[in-house]
Amino acid sequence: MPEQLIPTGTFLGAWVAAGLTLFIYSFLYTDNPLFKLGEHLYVGVSVGYSVVVVWYTVFIRLVGEEIKKGNFEPIIPVFIGLLILTRFIPKIAWLSRIAFAFVVGFGSGVAIPRTVSALILKQIEDTVNPLFTLGEGGLSLGWDLALPQSGVNTVILLVGVVSVLFYFFYSIEHAGPAKVAARTGIYFLMIAFGAAFGYTVMSRMSLLIGRFADLIMFSGAEYGYATLVLLGVIIVTLALWEIAIRRREGHSPPE
Amino acid sequence: MIGIDRRIIFLLIGFATLLPLLKPFGLPIKVSPEVRAVYEYIEALPERSVFLLSFDFDPSSKPELEPQATALLRHAFRKNLRVIGMTHWLTGTGLADGVFSKVAAEMGKERGKDYVFLGWAPGTGALIISMGQDLYKAFPSDYSKNPTRGMPVLVGVRTLRDVNYLVSLAAGGAGIEMWYVFGKDKYRFEMGGGSTGVIAPGLYPFLRSGQINGLIGGLQGAAEYETLIRQKGTATAGMDAQSATHFVIIILVLLCNVFYFLLRDQKGRSA
Repeated sequence: MPEQLIPTGTFLGAWVAAGLTLFIYSFLYTDNPLFKLGEHLYVGVSVGYSVVVVWYTVFIRLVGEEIKKGNFEPIIPVFIGLLILTRFIPKIAWLSRIAFAFVVGFGSGVAIPRTVSALILKQIEDTVNPLFTLGEGGLSLGWDLALPQSGVNTVILLVGVVSVLFYFFYSIEHAGPAKVAARTGIYFLMIAFGAAFGYTVMSRMSLLIGRFADLIMFSGAEYGYATLVLLGVIIVTLALWEIAIRRREGHSPPE
Repeated sequence: MIGIDRRIIFLLIGFATLLPLLKPFGLPIKVSPEVRAVYEYIEALPERSVFLLSFDFDPSSKPELEPQATALLRHAFRKNLRVIGMTHWLTGTGLADGVFSKVAAEMGKERGKDYVFLGWAPGTGALIISMGQDLYKAFPSDYSKNPTRGMPVLVGVRTLRDVNYLVSLAAGGAGIEMWYVFGKDKYRFEMGGGSTGVIAPGLYPFLRSGQINGLIGGLQGAAEYETLIRQKGTATAGMDAQSATHFVIIILVLLCNVFYFLLRDQKGRSA
């Protein structure tokens, strides 16, 4: 047993984290019981954790403690929330409509004006920027591609927005000049998808790097060589599982 | 090549990730203007200004967003700002508190005096509006069960209008967009963003229109921020691996295309 310099909780946590990471990565070889165990634990722990945080934050902190202090305001949302549960009692199920009406009415009322203002009007405003800027030498068109507000970028943005919108305009046949506009839209869409996919690849690789960095850390002596030990255990388990499956299927294990 | 066992590709990517992590080769990191904008805004804030950091992610995005959070907190604490932390992601609560506690301990900062972690509360958009009206009604107590009213770190802070700068570290919709739509647009504070790589392209329109003043995108963005604060961390350590995996992927894509066209030509000739 190596000299333990870190707290027991951290030590055990490292073993659990390393084990579950390797269980999940074992899917890269093939679907197997260890992966299934890791997957089910992930779902179970996430739900369990969420229930505990909601119980403590909502029921204890925001409702219970406030009522104890003499603030009875939280009773109103709690009452409306409880009405949703009346759906389980057919005779009074209609009461749940009050709660849903409140949710839909409040949600729409709050979200629609704010969303239209922030996501539509503000973006339209930015799409139509001035092409020319007035400087000391008179009117000029900015050619700097690296500058978001330059004239050349304004032109690219405007052409992109209009052509993509045109591509999704199906009321006229895409032929002649309309075909050129729609095709330009496709090119802009392809570039956007490419950029999004590139970022997604980068993001997924970052996640892999993060897990590998942790696995490297947990392979040290202070963690009891957790990664290396568990990797060995998983390889042996997978080999035994593979042999058992082949025997069951009537094949002899490979030499 | 077209019919290659995909497990060989997994192995190649695995080695391309592992080797640079074990033996880094130190590729240079170039700081982008959008990351610099966040840094410069925080740098320009006077001491004891109020900085709100919203951890809008959970452990599934930890490798990308935890380094961003750590770098931002180090910068804010170094500038002696008052830091308010919170999260819209229920499953990220423990993670966020852990990052706060770790960085605060490292920088010698005191909970309640220099920073507060409010935790999670339900409502997302409605919660932001509630914070914009009365912060103490939205969060009567912090994550450690201490009453927020009267806390030294919150002196002079009543609503979101009293926040000098806000950064949302987002892994999805309940993050930067939500903060802009229900917060900045209504309560007029300046805000920046940090995000996972997956959602970063969708946030560039907000950056261009000035709805956010800067954007830290993915692990690369975190590494750039670490470069700016001159304190290397896990993001910088991961950049060599990131470059190596990208290089392998580009080679594989090129090879697959070459073999695809060769096969197509062969089929065309034999037909």
